[in-house]
Amino acid sequence: MSESTFFTATFVLYVLSTCVYFAALMARRVKWAGKGMALAVAGLAFHTGALVARTVSSGHAPFTNMYESLSFFAWATVLALVLTDLKFRLPKIGPYVMLVAVGLMALASSPLMPKDAVPLVPALQSYWLWLHVSVTLIGEAFFAVAFVAALLYLAADTEEKRERMDSVSYRAVAVGFPLFTLGGLVFGMIWAYRAWGRYWSWDPKEVWSLITWFVFALYLHTRIVMGWKGRRSAFVAIVGFLSALFTYFGVNYLLASLHSYR
Amino acid sequence: MRSLLKTFASVRLAITLIILLALASVVGTLIPQGRGPEEYAARYGDLAGLFNRLQLTTLYRSPWFLTLLFLFAVNLVVCSLSRLGPKLRRAFGHAEGIGAGSVAAMKVKSRIDVPGPPAEALARVSRELTSRGYAVRPAAVEGAAAGLLGRKRRLGWLGSDAVHFGLLVILAGGIVSGLAGRRSHLVLTEGRTADVPHAGFQVRLDRFETEFYPQGAVKAWKSTVSVIEDGRTVRTEVVKVNHPLVHRGFHFFQSSYGWDWESARLEIVVGLKGDPASARTVVLRPGESLPVEGPGITRLGVRRFVPDFVLGEGNRVQSRSFEPRNPAALVEAWNGEERVFVGWVFSKFPDFTEGHADDPAAGSGRTGLSVILKDPRPAPTSVLEAAKDPGAGFIWAGSLLVTIGLVLAFFWTPREIRAALAEGGGRGNAVILGGFAPKAKDAFRSEFEAVCESLRRSP
Repeated sequence: MSESTFFTATFVLYVLSTCVYFAALMARRVKWAGKGMALAVAGLAFHTGALVARTVSSGHAPFTNMYESLSFFAWATVLALVLTDLKFRLPKIGPYVMLVAVGLMALASSPLMPKDAVPLVPALQSYWLWLHVSVTLIGEAFFAVAFVAALLYLAADTEEKRERMDSVSYRAVAVGFPLFTLGGLVFGMIWAYRAWGRYWSWDPKEVWSLITWFVFALYLHTRIVMGWKGRRSAFVAIVGFLSALFTYFGVNYLLASLHSYR
Repeated sequence: MRSLLKTFASVRLAITLIILLALASVVGTLIPQGRGPEEYAARYGDLAGLFNRLQLTTLYRSPWFLTLLFLFAVNLVVCSLSRLGPKLRRAFGHAEGIGAGSVAAMKVKSRIDVPGPPAEALARVSRELTSRGYAVRPAAVEGAAAGLLGRKRRLGWLGSDAVHFGLLVILAGGIVSGLAGRRSHLVLTEGRTADVPHAGFQVRLDRFETEFYPQGAVKAWKSTVSVIEDGRTVRTEVVKVNHPLVHRGFHFFQSSYGWDWESARLEIVVGLKGDPASARTVVLRPGESLPVEGPGITRLGVRRFVPDFVLGEGNRVQSRSFEPRNPAALVEAWNGEERVFVGWVFSKFPDFTEGHADDPAAGSGRTGLSVILKDPRPAPTSVLEAAKDPGAGFIWAGSLLVTIGLVLAFFWTPREIRAALAEGGGRGNAVILGGFAPKAKDAFRSEFEAVCESLRRSP
């Protein structure tokens, strides 16, 4: 199967998963949520196929332009959802995280995103491309889960639900933060040093990664040391994810940067 | 002094500083950094002066931003050190005098009747905990005959300290880079040798090639570089983007490329139209003019040359780039005192050549001159960045510490279980068990229950 067939199948499965999830939510059938998860897992398998096919056909890592990285980000988000679900068995976050994934897939398949596999410019020809981008985006996918849990916290109506969402949000940050630090900042610095000769140039992408890192550092310190929980923590997690999104999209389109890969 | 120390030990200050640093960083990405004053004036008008005074245009180097970073570093040091003592005691200390109440006051606790002889009860608890990876030591418990303390994943207590110390090392690396870092650009054509500033050795560019993909995009720039010490070539390596050459602490990066237009020679063929025998070849530099012996011409000059001809605003001739995409020369020719030709000559469009511009009276049509610019072949230049950055080592060490610290802090969360033999209570073998694990409550609770369950069973 070609990449686009895999991609289309993935898209269909994700949309179905989202629909089943929401139907489960509306009809209050917990069992249906399990089917939503099963569809998401099936979609993830096809998505993996799409990424592999892309890698084979282009000969390089499947995240060198906006289309590829959006697709990979969607993949990482579903992966983060599956892992979170394995750990917490929390059907509530499924529909919304899948909605984020479908949104990313829709954006990736929009005509605005050139889909051609372009040969790698010299700066990207490095195995650090694999390490830097994949680990960063997987970290950000956990931020997406934390973001959804934080929104659900704000929308929750009972104390018990709130407690769980608060806990899931924190646990997702606890996984995302080390990954983001390692992939985004540490690997980024190492690669920058090898490619450009300086580990830090105050490039807008770098600075926005740092800002995102600051926001989540704030999240952790207010929470662990000052005992913030619930509402205030949820707001910080939301700001953190929005900052991560801006690092990812905004810098490419709005600011002049060494990282403007579209 | 004490109150100052207290201020710097507070997490509140850390949070304030993090917010300020984040906001300042945002501003620094919205205002382009380090541009010329004209650009700011054009962009921001009257605000440009204000931005300049507040150092918002060189924000990340500005004294106030560096002061914020300095305060952040001091805060990190004081904050971490003031909490380090209690944490070390918690992780590795002797745990003298645990009050019996303190065991009972722990969040996760249980009272268990351990079967078997009384003297064996604590020993069983100890074995059980040891088998689960706890480091167990006896501890005196007030009001109890005996007690013990089991701890697991004790390094986890120091995770955040490792992160903070790593950040300090990174900040120190930044300072070292700023003060002791050496960088310079070496612009080299093939065969040229250049001194590396502050290095005491030289590098020579043996070969420079640009590889292209079939579609035309650049695939790689390859500089074959030799290191020369005291006149001897000590090593030769290919430098590519992502593959620097490292010699004596100096890194040589493929930074840029170009063409050596300065010393490029232009080859111009001039002659009468329709008469190949009259053609003469003149080799000259832009700005030069040379005598020519030919029919209807005595002197030829090149007033200007651009490698990538384009008409800009107001029909002004500009070069779009330094690449030889559309090389063009403004050529003049004289016959005695009379200028017989002036016009732009394009190497890629020889037919387009005709006199125009300043002197409508003079033209090739009238004189019947044919002027052809041969495709110029400037020497390719490779731009290497030579950098010695003694701060980089700090950055890697600090990054390693931060990474290890994060793993410890989030995935190696410490657990503690205390046990006290309750005297005279119940059937004589009652043990009070209490435990806590601040960052992994759920996982710990299930382990604690498993411990209790196992102790309740007969040995």
